[in-house]
Amino acid sequence: MSEADLILAIVVATALAFDFTNGFHDTANVVATSISTRAMPPRIAVTYAAVLNFAGAFISLAVAATVASDVVEANVITPTIVFAGLVGAITWNLVTWYFGLPSSSSHALIGGVVGASFAAGGADAVIGDGILGKVLIPALVAPVVAFIAGGVAILICYRVVGRERPGPVTRGFRLGQVVSGGLLALAHGTNDAQKTMGVIVLALVANGSLEAGSDPPTWVIVSAASAIALGTYSGGWRIIKTMGTRIIKMDAAQGFSAQGAGAAVILASSHFGFPLSTTQVISGGIMGAGAGKRVSAVRWGVAGNIVAAWVLTLPCAAAVGAMAYGITRIFGTGAVGPIVVSAIGLGLTAFAFARRIRQGAPVPA
Amino acid sequence: MSLLAGSIVDSKALLQTVGYSLLAGIGVTFIFSIAIFGFARFVEMGRAGRSPSAVAFGGLALFAFAAFAAAIVLGIIVMTSK
Repeated sequence: MSEADLILAIVVATALAFDFTNGFHDTANVVATSISTRAMPPRIAVTYAAVLNFAGAFISLAVAATVASDVVEANVITPTIVFAGLVGAITWNLVTWYFGLPSSSSHALIGGVVGASFAAGGADAVIGDGILGKVLIPALVAPVVAFIAGGVAILICYRVVGRERPGPVTRGFRLGQVVSGGLLALAHGTNDAQKTMGVIVLALVANGSLEAGSDPPTWVIVSAASAIALGTYSGGWRIIKTMGTRIIKMDAAQGFSAQGAGAAVILASSHFGFPLSTTQVISGGIMGAGAGKRVSAVRWGVAGNIVAAWVLTLPCAAAVGAMAYGITRIFGTGAVGPIVVSAIGLGLTAFAFARRIRQGAPVPA
Repeated sequence: MSLLAGSIVDSKALLQTVGYSLLAGIGVTFIFSIAIFGFARFVEMGRAGRSPSAVAFGGLALFAFAAFAAAIVLGIIVMTSK
């Protein structure tokens, strides 16, 4: 195995590790509403989401194409840059998981890759228009649309079923949540697994193993789908708790409205190739469904923390990505830099998990 | 400024995304609410012995459930068609 192939192998392993943390971190997006309204028991909800995440990854490749070609200049990218970008994204995912904050894995990934590219090739390596048009503007629009859709949907819903007996209505919406939650999991797999595919394609192109503009090879699709599904199955219970109970106290109708609004926005965006944050969309849908019932029903302090995490995601992941690139370059252009950074990253991750376990992380009921 | 924004953002795709998202997000909840409403009334009317009303509400519930299922299938087709 040549040194270039060794670096590529490290990059692919890191990308799949990121995909795992993406699933782990974003499980909450898909299952929190179903669990908090008791539409499904936690372990079944997580298994169901994992299976549909896996299936969703095979459905479309539009988002993968955007990540691979519209954010950074492909001719400047090296496998080491991709590696450093992934380190930035994984670090931010773990930091926000540690504090139980539902931030965007997608923006962490894009931020990390942009930061590392900027550190390596300066401003010319970054496609500013692509980031603005394909990432930032859709990122601002999508949660607002989900908020409005969730809010209007719950108002209409209460108008239609408000005078009926609560028992059958609640049971009906819980049943509906099995379907809307499934669609959401499918949409999540479609949108999020593709981002990892896009990054692996970027590394393969940079290594000369794949033509620029190619679709992801089958082994990339299967491995990305498996990693996100495994991460989802492992479940990020801390964030599930924040999204399921700390933003609003949800009833089944609100859960259904939030999931319906979220799935609609993610599906439409995936179709048009916008790599948006599923976390932001679902949070927007939940806040909308809460505010539609009563504005004071939303715990705006928690919502504010979540929005702050959204704003910080891109710059923080970019800063860590740039720093990781700087550290790898201290050891030259070979495989030693990525190996050293991987070792440091694994050590810090083990430390964070051990600390969380000692403090008593929430576990499923 | 709007010209610059227009050249950076695919405004048509973004507007379509917003339009379809609102339509689907609100529409699906509305249809499913109608289905639950129809079913709840069907049970209530059936218990009260008002068969014609029960049949009408049952039909409404069935129609709305079918429309909901169609919307889900359409969503999956939209995903797979890209």
